[in-house]
Amino acid sequence: MPIYDQGYRRYEARGPLRQVRFWPITREALRLILSKRAFLGLLAVSFLPFVVRVIQVYVVTRFPEAGRVLPVDGRLFGQFLNMQIGFTILLSIFGASGLIANDLRTGGILVYLSRPLTRRDYVLGKLGVPLALNLAVTLVPALGLYAAALSLAPDQFFAWELAWIGPAIVLHSFVISLFVSLLALTVSALSRSARVAGLAFFGLIFGLEMVRVVLQHGFGRREAMVVSFQADLRSLGSSLFGLADPELAMHWAAPAAVLLVVSLACLAILRVRVRAVEIVT
Amino acid sequence: MTDEAAPLVQFQDLAVSYGLVQALAGVSGGFPPGPTGLLGPNGAGKTTLLKTLLGFLDPDRGRMAAFGLDPTKQALEVRRRLGYMPEQDCHLPGMTASAFVAFAGELSGLPRDEAISRSHEVLYYVGLGEARYRNVETYSTGMKQRAKLAQALVHDPDLLLLDEPTNGLDPQGREEMLALIKDVATRRGMSLILCSHLLRDVERVCENVIVLNQGQVARTGTIRDLTGPRRQAFDVRFKGDATGVLTDLKDLGGDWRDGEDGFRLFLPEGQGPDTIFRLAKECGVQVRHLRPGAETLEDVFLAALGHEIQG
Repeated sequence: MPIYDQGYRRYEARGPLRQVRFWPITREALRLILSKRAFLGLLAVSFLPFVVRVIQVYVVTRFPEAGRVLPVDGRLFGQFLNMQIGFTILLSIFGASGLIANDLRTGGILVYLSRPLTRRDYVLGKLGVPLALNLAVTLVPALGLYAAALSLAPDQFFAWELAWIGPAIVLHSFVISLFVSLLALTVSALSRSARVAGLAFFGLIFGLEMVRVVLQHGFGRREAMVVSFQADLRSLGSSLFGLADPELAMHWAAPAAVLLVVSLACLAILRVRVRAVEIVT
Repeated sequence: MTDEAAPLVQFQDLAVSYGLVQALAGVSGGFPPGPTGLLGPNGAGKTTLLKTLLGFLDPDRGRMAAFGLDPTKQALEVRRRLGYMPEQDCHLPGMTASAFVAFAGELSGLPRDEAISRSHEVLYYVGLGEARYRNVETYSTGMKQRAKLAQALVHDPDLLLLDEPTNGLDPQGREEMLALIKDVATRRGMSLILCSHLLRDVERVCENVIVLNQGQVARTGTIRDLTGPRRQAFDVRFKGDATGVLTDLKDLGGDWRDGEDGFRLFLPEGQGPDTIFRLAKECGVQVRHLRPGAETLEDVFLAALGHEIQG
């Protein structure tokens, strides 16, 4: 049948502009990522520490003497969240590296920006993807762990002096997830290849961690901790949950300032890179 | 413009630059309802004009209004009423055509159910019905062009912007794409701007044209107004130095330009091929080949641009 014999229906029911315009972007990207079995496997593995910690809480409540080896208190949640940082990095490498890089490669960015969307909507929509994934492996299991602790050891955790744990979990989970997501998205915006962006993000995170280790252990420079984003995040967690880690012992303001400056730099880079028109002068 | 209806898009003294490069140097004009061609050689400023209309670029000076709205200040409202088919490849990796087009519709503000329903309809309309569940990345160039058109059509825009829609297509694919665009414009009554450097493409679809050259409007009007009564043209090959013939022809009120193989001569009204033979005889050159033809839009276009795009 010739193409001009086929129907085309006009659409007259145009409504007002949506208030929340970024959500379809996040939803569709999450749907694509979660359709990959390997990624689902990684997500499942990210919950293993949660299972282990729940078992730990259970064992300590049944056998209190085990608490001497595996103490169950507020620090448990800080240790748990600090461990989850590694998973947020892995999830961001596989889940966020292509988010903007692929759009730059295939011209998909024009599909978004030629619509009634602002660049902020686009960035928010894309940022929502790693943020949702990272919160799923930090906030969700940490709150689950807290709920498990409350139900298994109510005498210990239903105490006013431990009421800070809930807000601390929410705060640290958001700091970890937001920072890692923003950094991964920015690296993705700097390349047209998801693979290159993934490797660059991996190199940035683990390269700086290596630099920290060398400077701290080789040259005895304790302040070198701030060069590693992972160490900055862990240090904030340690300050928040009262963990004693001599390697990360630094006033919380220093790592917080580093993370804030890097986040602002990321936003500036995204502002430059996310454009419908590439201007080469 | 012969169309009496108010222009959908108007621009006045519009200047846009990329750093030091002036892409549009104070252009004025408008796009009336219906299909309008935006013609010009590469680098003329056609795509810049479209991107300014989409609100991607801020003008250095001048004003632009689309549907009575300012694209720089009300970009979202303007974009909602536009459908844009970019020149370059554009698809979303990992998506089937139906998911891609439905997603594009949803981004344009359609409710999800309606976007899905319309994506199937539009994909059938552009001839991708049977292939709509295939990943767009596996499509041929022609199919990708159709998918691009579908994503621009899915929300039923008031004005469709087509930037070089036949790029990379084989002759058959090009014919089909032009037939489709013509159908959108004539049978579906959708206004569109067809941006192309291929004059025959514009001639097939549009009545009105704006010719841009070096960031300025070279000509504007209906194709009929632009071309006037087309002059009689002949493709001629001479043996010997034809400079004298060409000069005498100009003196008679005719014109010429380099052809693919020889010269294309345009005779003044009332003159026939015997004029060419007479002039050749007077100048002592032989006519080795003479083929009659009509003046094409390309000839008019070149005349409008002062032959600046030759070579």
